[in-house]
Amino acid sequence: MARISIDPVTRIEGHLRIDVEVDGGIVNKAWASCTMWRGLEMILRGRDAREGWVFAQRFCGVCTTVHGIASVRAVEDALALDIPPNAQFIRNLILIGHALHDHIVHFYHLSALDWVDVMSIPKADAARAASIAESSSSWQGNSRRELEAVQQKVKGIVAGGQLGIFNHGYWGHPAMRLSPEMNLIFFNHYLQALEFQRKSCQVVAILGGKTPHIQNLAVGGVMNAINLNSLATMNMDRLGMLKAVLEDLIPFVQQVFLADTCLLAASYPEYLHYGRGVANYLAVPDLPLDAKTSKFDLPGGVIMNGNLASVRPIANWKDEPFRKAITEDSTHAWYQGGGPIEPYRGETMPDYTDFKEDAKYTWVKAPRYNGSPMQVGPLANVLVGYASGHALTRKWTDTAFGRISAVHGLKVGPNDLQSTMGRYLARAIRSSMLSELALEHLQLLTTNILNGDDTTFNAPQFPSGEIMGMGMHEAPRGALSHWVVIEKGVFTNYQAVVPTTWNASPRDQNGVPGPYETSLIGSPVVDAEKPLEVLRTVHSFDPCMACSCHTLDASGKEVAQVKVQ
Amino acid sequence: MTEMNPIATHPISVIGLGNVFLGDDGFGPLAVETFRSQFMCGPEVEVLDLGTPGLDLAPYLYGRELVIVVDSVHADLPLRAVSVFCEDDFTSSRACLRITGHDPGLWDTLTHLRIADCGPSELIVIGTAPESCIFGDGPSDAMLRLAAEAAESIAQLLSRRGVLCNRRHVAPHPNLWWLPLSSTEDPNLQQVSEE
Repeated sequence: MARISIDPVTRIEGHLRIDVEVDGGIVNKAWASCTMWRGLEMILRGRDAREGWVFAQRFCGVCTTVHGIASVRAVEDALALDIPPNAQFIRNLILIGHALHDHIVHFYHLSALDWVDVMSIPKADAARAASIAESSSSWQGNSRRELEAVQQKVKGIVAGGQLGIFNHGYWGHPAMRLSPEMNLIFFNHYLQALEFQRKSCQVVAILGGKTPHIQNLAVGGVMNAINLNSLATMNMDRLGMLKAVLEDLIPFVQQVFLADTCLLAASYPEYLHYGRGVANYLAVPDLPLDAKTSKFDLPGGVIMNGNLASVRPIANWKDEPFRKAITEDSTHAWYQGGGPIEPYRGETMPDYTDFKEDAKYTWVKAPRYNGSPMQVGPLANVLVGYASGHALTRKWTDTAFGRISAVHGLKVGPNDLQSTMGRYLARAIRSSMLSELALEHLQLLTTNILNGDDTTFNAPQFPSGEIMGMGMHEAPRGALSHWVVIEKGVFTNYQAVVPTTWNASPRDQNGVPGPYETSLIGSPVVDAEKPLEVLRTVHSFDPCMACSCHTLDASGKEVAQVKVQ
Repeated sequence: MTEMNPIATHPISVIGLGNVFLGDDGFGPLAVETFRSQFMCGPEVEVLDLGTPGLDLAPYLYGRELVIVVDSVHADLPLRAVSVFCEDDFTSSRACLRITGHDPGLWDTLTHLRIADCGPSELIVIGTAPESCIFGDGPSDAMLRLAAEAAESIAQLLSRRGVLCNRRHVAPHPNLWWLPLSSTEDPNLQQVSEE
């Protein structure tokens, strides 16, 4: 039996350690450990509830927007505050822009090189690669000339021995099975994605004033002034600019990103059977459509034990069963306390003990839903939508299934999505859905403004007594909730239950492991020195451990070690 | 593709990197906010506190003529001094041992952009060695003084390249919103804004 420690897992946001025990080439035990402490909740205590979102954006270095949104929604929930439709649409467009950016970066720049062998690209037949790419997508950036240019760049890098950031890839690993032509296609899109992650940031910046750390939020709405007769405010020019950026961005999402994940699934069909893990799924409703926040464009719900027919919808953010079901357990986390506690009463007092696999071994608490671990993220989002009969989810999911089938005739259904590859597919399906919704929400905003509504803010009024609220957001990595207790307009407690906390959850007081840990059980490991299969499954969750911390390393070198014992 | 091109609006970026809640690690944001309060540039210069964005740095380096990154640098630098690096320093053997806590993001991002032929024409890093990176603390007194020095360095680098950068006659307080509640009246802030 071999024990493999990967510390840190690279190409993620933040620092994560994964330990697995491998017996006969198969993982039979796993531990996920976040090696950074997130203490922002303590900083928020005593702060004015109206400015909490400014601080909350620093929960994470990359998911800044989502924490800002969840924070204002939590305070608004405590105040039972209506939000003007214009503000809802502006926030929704920002969230869509952020999500598209996040999903593009994850697939191409954080995880594609788990599957794409860059070093084989010099051997590719560029003409054949162009033919393959053009037959699978109508994207115009797949020409032979373009692919030849990319191939020349890679040849130069390889010939010069200047591998740089590609120096530590698992090149030539037996689990890397794409042809040189397919590798060239993917790497071409890897480079093109740089432009489109920039465009998705433009969507956020045009509305939010700046990204990361948008500046336009307010408890009660947004601070975007609307005046069609002013050059300095939201006007038809600004709305036209947004439309132009979206119309540039959307084809890349629908014709490249989705097509690439389908090609990947068709090329690595065994990963539709690996990595299922915890088959309980949680997604929260999002993209609200009215001031009362009663209607949504993305459905929420709960699926237990992988049974899609069992889906229980979460109709809105007032859902009492959801609010009562959430707890966090610190039995195996480096915090004081132990068994489950509701977030409103949650504490974040550190109790570090070093890595002890049978005791405390991570900075991540163990969230539970009615005592069960839950998987969150685009896969939960897509499965809940598909099981609920949500038309847009079904449209893009069935489109993906059709594309996969068109490659080698592989038949894929919704249950196959409960896998490592399913998480990649779900991210692209969700992106395609969001890209379509972006134009719809822009039209809703434009129509509302043209109908004479220029309201973007309802002023909050804080009572002197204690109030509590919870703000939800279906973030790129899944269900996010901020829980606040406020007295005289000041936070007296603040807890964030973040998507990566759900997925990277350690064991709870009953010894039940979390989604990362469970998903690795049964994974093959062909080469213990290069545990690529483990990384593929961990990366499929899009781990984001940053949560407001980063590490200054004493030697100045990035430390990425794989230890085999 | 549309003709709208924000690159043309902001060909120059001044970027502060760091975690503002981690003591001196927040030197970058502190320095760019100090620069913003003391100097005024034209529309071609974008001054940004980007926090700790990792690979999400790419959009802010993409196609720029000049990028000035201000960051705390964990290296063999003299304490309580501001140092200036060029991109070559990061590719030389000397700089391999001199990277910031954010460097994996910065280095990866630059490499991606260079391969795609859309990296910045010039990259400069202004850094200083942090003295104390304790969570929840504000920056040390030394960092507050060095932030003013870094702001002067930014202004000089821009001016030498013919970029409009004027000292404000009346400098407002830098917007250091992240300081601990008990530190908001710290006299050192007054000192920085008056220097």
